[in-house]
Parts: sequence; structure tokens; C-alpha cells
Amino acid sequence: MRNGRVGTSLSGAVNVISKRNFKAHWVAPTLRELQRRKVIEEDRNGGPKIFHRSTFLEWNYDAEIFAFSNRLGEKFNDSSLRAALTHKSYIERETARLSDIGVESNLQFHDNEALAKKGGEIMSKFINGYLRAVFTQVPEELIRAMHDFLTSNATLETVAKHIGLGDLMLCADFPCKTETYVKSFKAVVAALAESSGEERARIFVQDLVVTQLYGQDVNELWNPVDPVGNLTAILKREGKAEPEFRLIRQAGSNSILAVYYVGVYSDKNFISEGAGESLEVAKEMAAREALKKLFHTEDSMRALPFGRQLKNIQSRIAQLENQPNVPLSEWISQKVMSAVH
Amino acid sequence: MSNSHLFLPSGFLRTPLQNGLGRYIPQLQRITLKFCKNHGGSRGVRDFIESDLMEFAKTNHGTVVYLKPRRHRSPCMVAEYLNGEREYLSCHEFSRDEVHKWLSYMCTRSGIPVMRFRKYQHTDYPTVQGVWNPFTHQAPEINVAEFPHGVLSKPIDHGQTATEQLIEIFKKTQIEDPVNKPSN
Repeated sequence: MRNGRVGTSLSGAVNVISKRNFKAHWVAPTLRELQRRKVIEEDRNGGPKIFHRSTFLEWNYDAEIFAFSNRLGEKFNDSSLRAALTHKSYIERETARLSDIGVESNLQFHDNEALAKKGGEIMSKFINGYLRAVFTQVPEELIRAMHDFLTSNATLETVAKHIGLGDLMLCADFPCKTETYVKSFKAVVAALAESSGEERARIFVQDLVVTQLYGQDVNELWNPVDPVGNLTAILKREGKAEPEFRLIRQAGSNSILAVYYVGVYSDKNFISEGAGESLEVAKEMAAREALKKLFHTEDSMRALPFGRQLKNIQSRIAQLENQPNVPLSEWISQKVMSAVH
Repeated sequence: MSNSHLFLPSGFLRTPLQNGLGRYIPQLQRITLKFCKNHGGSRGVRDFIESDLMEFAKTNHGTVVYLKPRRHRSPCMVAEYLNGEREYLSCHEFSRDEVHKWLSYMCTRSGIPVMRFRKYQHTDYPTVQGVWNPFTHQAPEINVAEFPHGVLSKPIDHGQTATEQLIEIFKKTQIEDPVNKPSN
């Protein structure tokens, strides 16, 4: 069934570029009453009725697919793209329907299971390559956290919806589930790699998926559990003196709005400072700031490169796809100093 | 002069899916032109379809154009965007140029509804050096200083008073010692 009920009332809303018009005195009250009855019916049925775009009279699947590839600026093999958008559930439903009627089904459909799996792998690879090339000083745990955020279902579903996959997918569920969107998107990536080559697929993933990292604070995505311990371990491995925490500033210590600034020093050299509502919190924040400084992920870090700015480091990205960064347990500055971007 | 009386929603500048950061994706998904084959109100739309539509479709090849001839109905266009929004516009008694103009207006929009922009710029990183707090640029010596302090109690940018400036000018214009005078 290509219709259903959705709980929100967002679907079907049409923005009208309005003009002046003169309507008879009975029009407004009639429309108000009809709207009132419509709202009651929809509440009773669990939401307004929604229809798939393909149920409209003005629908041309071939034209939609053509526009899809042009919109993205990519060239797809027709068979690969159609296979990427076809789900197993749709094929099963169609064969069941035809066999119910009694028609023998020799449908030539390919589903997107294999493509989705392959697409997921190469997308992970491209994302890791970008992250390692841009965040050169960062331990592998943070790379993994950023990668998990970018490949999460929520992110990929948003991307898939906003490039128009919702109307193009052939699937049995409507409204489509998150997993369906994610699978289609991964399959489209794989289809692109098949059609135009890995280079184009890499740029595609960088332009659509990795840009979702913009506006995110990477330190919100991952934080080491014990920053003080980690800082001590790193300084010890580098042969520096162990970190010394000193109170630098304080204000309002007897009040609720107390603030303490704690600075981290190693061998009387200032590393970083952090603020908090109590001494323990300030100490942890100072250690976190010190780690941020070491990993070059402070608030003042360099802006992330996107689009054309990646032209010069594409080969570096491809190189680092299979080379994980240094893990936190072995991290020292000297190891990452050689790879400065 | 306030904006509270406006029914127009207000918001900050935004774009769907960081469009333009990686690549620019035209947000118009499809446009449906409904018109009557006979009635005079659809003349502009009919003329547009006969002359300018093919060029429009070629330049915007990421948008699907649907034509829907419907007898005895006034012409309209419905634009559908990638974020699911729809825009309806009645094209009754439009000229061919007006249709073209409104169509290109639809092309350049994202589906985000028309709203009053509170600011014409937006950033996710408002501060690079860190937000000012009362401890910024304070000398660390204040922690162990006894106030009133000889240096820290004075204003930072005191500058020379007029009297001190005059004294300096006077000193410069003093006759110099002939032994120290350069020989030229």
C-alpha cells in the first residue's frame, strides 16, 4: 500500500505565494468548519493520510532518476543505480503480488543488499582517510568516535532524505524506515564507485557525509575518561616532568557561582588552564584543555577543509585510509610531529 | 518600529545539509506546471512552454518538469523541494516573462519557508580566541598583590600628562654641549 498515516502534521503542508483576492462572505466560515472536521478525523485515525509521490499522476520514474544523477553532478550506470534503489522487501512483495494474480514472475530485479554492504565499507574507508589526513595529531579513539558519528543512522538518514532518495526508493515500507534510507544511501555510494570510479565516490562521500561534521564540536563526540591520568602518562612517555596543577584564579568561593581557574604546569612551563565550579572540576577541565592542545582540537583549531580545499590532500587521504592513527595508550608528540598537515 | 506585529516567522540564515560547503546541489526537486489548453488566462504559460521551457529544462537538468494540461482550470505552478516543502503559485493571467521570472525564483530557493532574517550572517564558531571573562588580560601578579599597589592600582593606559609633555619638549630644545656636537 503506497499510503499510510503519520503521527506529525508536517506532511502535505503547501506554502502558498499568496495574492490579493476577494472571496464571498461564506467561504471563510465554510473552510474553517471543514478544517475543524478534518483535524478531528485525523486525530482519530492517528495522523494525516500521506501518499507516496509515485501515486500522483505526474510521475515519471525514469525522469526522476535522470534528474537525481544530474542534481548530484555524477554519472551513474543505469542498472547500478536502479539496483541500488531497489530493496529486497519490494521484490518479495511484487513477486507475491504477481503470483497471487497467477502471473509467472520472471522479474529482472536486482536488490541492493550486496551494494549496500560494499557501500558501507568504502564509505567508512573514505571517512577514515579524511579524518586521519585532517586530524593528524589526534589519537585513534577520537577518529573512531567521529567516524561513528558520521556513519550513524541519524546522520545518514538526514543526508539520504535531503538528496531526494525518499521518492526514488522501491521498498515495501511506507513511510520508509531509517534502515531503508541508510541502506539505499550506502548502495548509491557503491553504485557510484562502480560507475564513475573510486575517486568520484570519495569526493561524493567527502562532499555529502563528511560535511556533516561542520558545526560539531569534536570534543563533545569523545573525551578520554581520565584526562589527568592520560596527561600524566603522555608527559611521562615524552620524558617531561609530571603535570603540576596550581590554582591561578578564583572568585566567589563561598557562593553558588564559584569559579576556580586551575593551570597545568610541567617543569614550571605553562601548558593550559581550565575553569570549573569546584577545584576538582577545574583540575579535570585543565587536563582536558592540555590534551586538546596536544591533539590540536582546541576551540581555536584550524577550520576543517571541504570541497575544493581538499584538492591537494586527496592523495594523502587515500594513503591514510588504511593507516590508523596512534592510539591513546601510545600517544606522544614526537610520533605525530612528522605528519603535519 | 518592531517586528512583533508581523505574522511572518523569523529565523537565522541556514541551508539544508550544509549545501555549498562540499558541493552545491540545486534544491528544486520537481516543478509541476498546470495550465488550460484553451482559456486565455493560461496564455502566458502556454507561450512559455512553447518557447522557453526546453532551455529551462536543459539548464536545470537536476529538476524534473511536469506539464499537466487541465481544461477549465486556472494555471498554477507547484514547486517541490528536497527537504519536502512545497510552494504553490497561481499563474493566472501571467505573461510569458513573468512565468519565466517566477520559475527562476523557484529554482534559486531552498525549501526553507520565507522568513524574516534576524541576521544576515551565521556562524557555528562565534569565538576563536575565547569569550572575554573578567580574568582575561589580568596580570597574574594580582593574585599575591597587596592593594593599593604601586603599579597595579594605576590605570593601564595612563599616558603622559600635558605638563610632562611640555617638560620633554623643553628638554629637547635645550642648547647642546658644544663638545658633543656632531662635526658637520
